[in-house]
Amino acid sequence: MEPCFLTAAEAASRIRDGKLTSETLVRSCIERIEARDPQVKAWLYLDKAKAIATARELDKYPSKGVLHGVPFGVKDMIDTADMPTTYNSPVFQGYRPARDAACVGVARHSGAVILGKTDTVEFASAGRRAATRNPKNLAHTPGGSSSGSGAAVGDRQVQLAFGTQTGGSHIRPASFNGIYGLKPTWSSVSREGAKQYSNMLDTIGWYGRSVGDLALVAQAFRLHGVGEISAPDLSTLKVAVCRTPFWSKIEPAGEKALETACERLRKAGVTLVDLTLPEPFDGMAEAQTTIMMGEGKASFLDASLEFGERLHKDFHDRAHNTLGITAEQIIAAYNLAADCRKSFEALYADFDVVLTPAACGEAPEGSYNTGDHIFNGMWTLLHVPCLGIPCTTGAKGLPVGIQIVAPRLEDARLLAMATVLAPVIDLETPAWDPAA
Amino acid sequence: MSKTEPCFLTAAEAAAAMKAGTLTSETLIRSCLERIEARDPVVKAWLHVEPDLAIRQAREVDKRPVKGPLHGLPFGVKDIMDTFDMPTSYNSPSWQGHRPTRDAACVSIVRQAGAVILGKTDTVEFAFNSRKAASTNPYNSGHTPGGSSSGSGAAVGDFQVQFAFGTQTAGSHIRPASFNGIYGIKPSWGTVSREGVHMISAILDTIGWYGRSVDDLILGAQAFRLDGVEALAVPEAKGLRIGYYETPFWDQAEPGAKAAMAASVDRLRKAGAIVEEITVPAHFADLADAHMTVMWGDGRVALYDEYLHHGETIHPELRLTVEDKRGVTPKRLVEAYDFADTCRREFDAIASGYDAILAPAATGEAPKGLHTVGNWIFNGLWTLLHAPCVAIPALFGEGGLPVGIQLVGPRLSDARLLAVAKALQSIIDVNADERFRILSAA
Repeated sequence: MEPCFLTAAEAASRIRDGKLTSETLVRSCIERIEARDPQVKAWLYLDKAKAIATARELDKYPSKGVLHGVPFGVKDMIDTADMPTTYNSPVFQGYRPARDAACVGVARHSGAVILGKTDTVEFASAGRRAATRNPKNLAHTPGGSSSGSGAAVGDRQVQLAFGTQTGGSHIRPASFNGIYGLKPTWSSVSREGAKQYSNMLDTIGWYGRSVGDLALVAQAFRLHGVGEISAPDLSTLKVAVCRTPFWSKIEPAGEKALETACERLRKAGVTLVDLTLPEPFDGMAEAQTTIMMGEGKASFLDASLEFGERLHKDFHDRAHNTLGITAEQIIAAYNLAADCRKSFEALYADFDVVLTPAACGEAPEGSYNTGDHIFNGMWTLLHVPCLGIPCTTGAKGLPVGIQIVAPRLEDARLLAMATVLAPVIDLETPAWDPAA
Repeated sequence: MSKTEPCFLTAAEAAAAMKAGTLTSETLIRSCLERIEARDPVVKAWLHVEPDLAIRQAREVDKRPVKGPLHGLPFGVKDIMDTFDMPTSYNSPSWQGHRPTRDAACVSIVRQAGAVILGKTDTVEFAFNSRKAASTNPYNSGHTPGGSSSGSGAAVGDFQVQFAFGTQTAGSHIRPASFNGIYGIKPSWGTVSREGVHMISAILDTIGWYGRSVDDLILGAQAFRLDGVEALAVPEAKGLRIGYYETPFWDQAEPGAKAAMAASVDRLRKAGAIVEEITVPAHFADLADAHMTVMWGDGRVALYDEYLHHGETIHPELRLTVEDKRGVTPKRLVEAYDFADTCRREFDAIASGYDAILAPAATGEAPKGLHTVGNWIFNGLWTLLHAPCVAIPALFGEGGLPVGIQLVGPRLSDARLLAVAKALQSIIDVNADERFRILSAA
């Protein structure tokens, strides 16, 4: 098998054991990208020679860290010192930041090879979309805003990639591309050097192809307790199935994914309970939008003033608050979120983990509509860790996943539970066919 | 009083003079540069000043039509903020000579509003309890100007520049305002973009600015389009309801802070304002601990990249935080976040019953020595509460150093708070002439 098809955890372990070099791995990924990029268009920038040189350099070292020699894609609204950062904005073409974003720095210092920059919705917010296509069907979106990161990991072009989530930009593309993704607890990974949209919401996450991949990166970021919590016995787990107050937006494929996951868990002896969230949660989707758009005023004022008509109207709308969001509305949204965080986590007294949709259904057709974040926004605002797991396919043959959710700062426990839940839920990810 | 040198003007006065055609930006900037040249060997407020660049910018602004509220006015930038045309060192030995390629969002916004960036001001390393700025208090060089916004506070206080940015994660903005006899606003959390500013805590870090009058602060607020600041209705001082709040930490107040609070109450009452003590829930006493828990917990994450990059050479205080030796557990951190949410709502409700809350801005006069930047105990709670704070100078303490107070409002009431502060400025701050007299002779 070509090394590009290995998971990050497999590749890291082979490199550690001297059975694989980083250079071989990186070359394999580059070959895969060369073959696939004309269709999938996941990358905005790729420095092949630099990636190979970095890999070769790492091969001379003893291990630098848990990601030693493993390639990493970086969403192009995250700064890199040695590659351009465009935010997929026409006004930032060729922009070269002077230093790495904190998350890129941590990945590099843990031994990752930064392969390149992945396409994104402009500023990970609005405006223009990524050129990226869904690797499973080019007529469909890979989701967004982490479009290129989701597609590249899904298409086996790179083992790991950063995404970000303000609405549903991280977990939804995980579902659309049949991959794993972790949106860690808010503020547990530094956002410094990533484009800001909403102070209260922006969260950096990562994609991989197994729970082990996600855990590897979680270790690099020292998430609390990672590596210290052992996997629980499946039969002791109590899973709360949460259809959310927004269930009316579910599509057949999304429903199938949730029901399939439940069925498989039940068969495996897992106890399932239904979770109906209390009435105040009905307002959480709107609260998320209010905060995102309201805080977007501060985040886009500088670009709005600096670039004038060259900047997409969406960002002027935010900077000038054309929605007319009031201070009272923002504060009510902050307060509702605070209430719901507390009441949500109190519910965990009765179960271990929440199982909930990761997206409405399959990836929509076309490239403008990157999908609806209705099944993500509430969780982003709750600041809770979310882990996307592939599950099944919809009527169009596109992947659909689910997500599991834990209380804030219990990322390590979520990962530990995922190591036993994922093998039960993720039964349809095909053994990769390199001829695809 | 004659303020013959333009550097002694407030920003609002200078803006008016430029509008009237009696002052050019170039003349103003040259005056500030002269003042800096004369005073910098003692005050040491600046890490980087580029006179030629500043004069070129000023001359360019003088040719342009007025673009915004800060037209031609000089601005000092705390050196944890990126500037595309000047180095940004974070006052860290690890980042000497670092040249960002883009302005921080706040710097870009004041430039777009017409400001001339004069230079970068000294700061506590990463604005987070580590190596201190070299800056001294303009009133007594044996004392600190406070910090972490040390150079910004000292430079505005010493009449070297009209405006400067500070930041506050604990008490780094309002406390130096008090120590340097100046005005400062820490706006509501989330209203000014922190992009391009070195980060410690997403839920705490707040950018603010210093000036020498409430009108100066309003000009800055206009540049940042804070809600409602375009059409301020300044009330009559008489009849305003001011909530008096010593905070649960009053036992740490020194004679300077006690005198400043007492004098403010006295002056406000004489002017016809109604001052009454506010009642807050007893658990507000836990806000100081909650604040520190959040700051250390978030700091552990924020500094990790620096730690990996620069290893054990980073400052021992930063190491304590990043190596998780501050006793913060995930459980305590979540509890602190939630407790802050509860108190925010409670304080909003209390503060909404008043035109402003009057609270201490610092424990007293600036402490002696440059090894300390003072105690943040009267500031951390407000940072955590996300409430807008406006600092106003009140008096000189027994040691001859200035002491201020702060007015505080509920979240997102910045415009209203500035309007009230404007109404109260001349009542509380009776020493503006004295400050000019002392420092113009320095």
